[in-house]
Amino acid sequence: MLIEGLRIRDFRNIEKAFIEPHHRFNVFWGLNGQGKTNILEAIYLLSAVKSFRPQTNNDLIRFHSLNAQLEAKVDRGGSERIVRLEIHSKGKAVFLNDQKVKNLRDFFGSINVVMFGPEDVRLLKGGPSARRKFIDRAIFNAFPGFAFVSQQYEEVLKQRNALLKKEAKIDPILLSTYNDQFVEFGSEIVFRRLTFLETFIPTLQSTFEDIFDASFTAHMEYSSQWLGEAKTQKDIADHLDRALENSVAEERSRRFTVVGPHRDDLSTQLNGKSLKAFGSQGQHRGFVLAMKIAEIKYLKERYHFSPILLLDDVSSELDRSRNQFLFEFIRHEMDGQVFITTTHRDYILLDEDLRYWEIDGGQIKPD
Amino acid sequence: MQTRDPITNLINALTKLPGIGERTASRLAFFILNQPDELAENLASALIEVKQQVGYCTQCCNLTKDERCMICQAPKRNQNMICIVESTPDLRAIERTGEFHGTYHVLHGLISPLEGVGPDDLRIRELITRLGQSKIEELIVATSPSVNGEATALYLQKLVKPFEIKITRIASGIPIGGDLEYIDRVTLSRALSQRRELN
Repeated sequence: MLIEGLRIRDFRNIEKAFIEPHHRFNVFWGLNGQGKTNILEAIYLLSAVKSFRPQTNNDLIRFHSLNAQLEAKVDRGGSERIVRLEIHSKGKAVFLNDQKVKNLRDFFGSINVVMFGPEDVRLLKGGPSARRKFIDRAIFNAFPGFAFVSQQYEEVLKQRNALLKKEAKIDPILLSTYNDQFVEFGSEIVFRRLTFLETFIPTLQSTFEDIFDASFTAHMEYSSQWLGEAKTQKDIADHLDRALENSVAEERSRRFTVVGPHRDDLSTQLNGKSLKAFGSQGQHRGFVLAMKIAEIKYLKERYHFSPILLLDDVSSELDRSRNQFLFEFIRHEMDGQVFITTTHRDYILLDEDLRYWEIDGGQIKPD
Repeated sequence: MQTRDPITNLINALTKLPGIGERTASRLAFFILNQPDELAENLASALIEVKQQVGYCTQCCNLTKDERCMICQAPKRNQNMICIVESTPDLRAIERTGEFHGTYHVLHGLISPLEGVGPDDLRIRELITRLGQSKIEELIVATSPSVNGEATALYLQKLVKPFEIKITRIASGIPIGGDLEYIDRVTLSRALSQRRELN
């Protein structure tokens, strides 16, 4: 997967830009606050439509402009397509080869990106929602149809919570209706997560060993209070059904859905000890790096070409040897296109297949 | 909001209609104003008539000006077969196919606790009364395949279970004349899982 051309107009602090990226490494360097991350965000938006940073549409549109436009010419294993995103204050519109995309379901998967930025280091330290987001996004990247399942689940969950909240006396038939829907979509989400982890974890482990050394065994586990040993979708559904039954009393008093995939987590261990509780700063960073690299390998296996890698603010978060490993990996183990931002060119351990741009006050200058 | 300017009042009233914004409303208002009086009089009386005369059919809750709607009154319709729809426009869509010869039941909405719509806000009680009164052979649930449409269908299925009546759900899948390549994955996988035998 390759971005051959990227056009940006009235996006954040960038008035107008057109770049023709190298098929391997693209480095955007400059001082902080000049708009480096905005370029990565533009690429990310063209893939996911939603940003990786919290924002409203108005934040994305350059001050005093009516709308923002992003456009990429993408080579996807030989077939070429033009992806365009228009951002208005009231909404976004996606175009594929100049045809307006009516259903985003048909669009997702057009561009696959994996993002690694400074915030990701907190992935394993913060609350479970970031880890659920990681796994769901990784699955969605590989199987865009997953977006539909999780949307349906979210909708059923909202309806079910509204029912629990509003009604003093709940219609038992109506509750059982929502239970059935909840179990149907919920079990599919968990089944897909488990299936993903089955291939993801071994890759993660071997990557982590490469980054540190073989004396460290990394492990990741799906963590859920209700799942037990269930593996098949049918078993998962049965467990989830029983978990709902067992939480009737708690639900009555708290008035929302207390079990399900929206409350589950990923737990991480190093040599059998909880990383969250005992891991050092460096181990945390190495672990997250291994997760991202494993995600790239996973996508490569799925699509037979590498996703686009976005590396935000390289080196401020990794120590020297970890940094070296990262560049070794993207140089030798990965054949895809990479977009990197950095404040110092010395952090970039690359010497060929490389194009530099300098970013200064929203201006992008080849360099 | 009632003001003292009749033109503003009309514009405000028109903006309450779905799909009509301030600009369209003002265009419509000035159009009406510039036409002969007849147009305004006809429009006004048609609006009042429709509200005064149209009500629910006592059997199927379809909109009608009579006690029972045309379909329920038609002698040739199979009274033992009921197709359950969300709204009158949906009923009309099925009528246009000319394929269905039973009667309908119009719910006037779908269950959605989020929007405060429960079973009691729909015409479900009327349906149950109907089931108790006559010998129904089949119920066809023809709500949309959306989350709310599916929830409503599932709810009805559970609700009528004690009656031991055959209940079916309309199929969903690939549109006729559709090209497989361009069908979204969800529809396609649904169509696959609900495939039928050819022999």
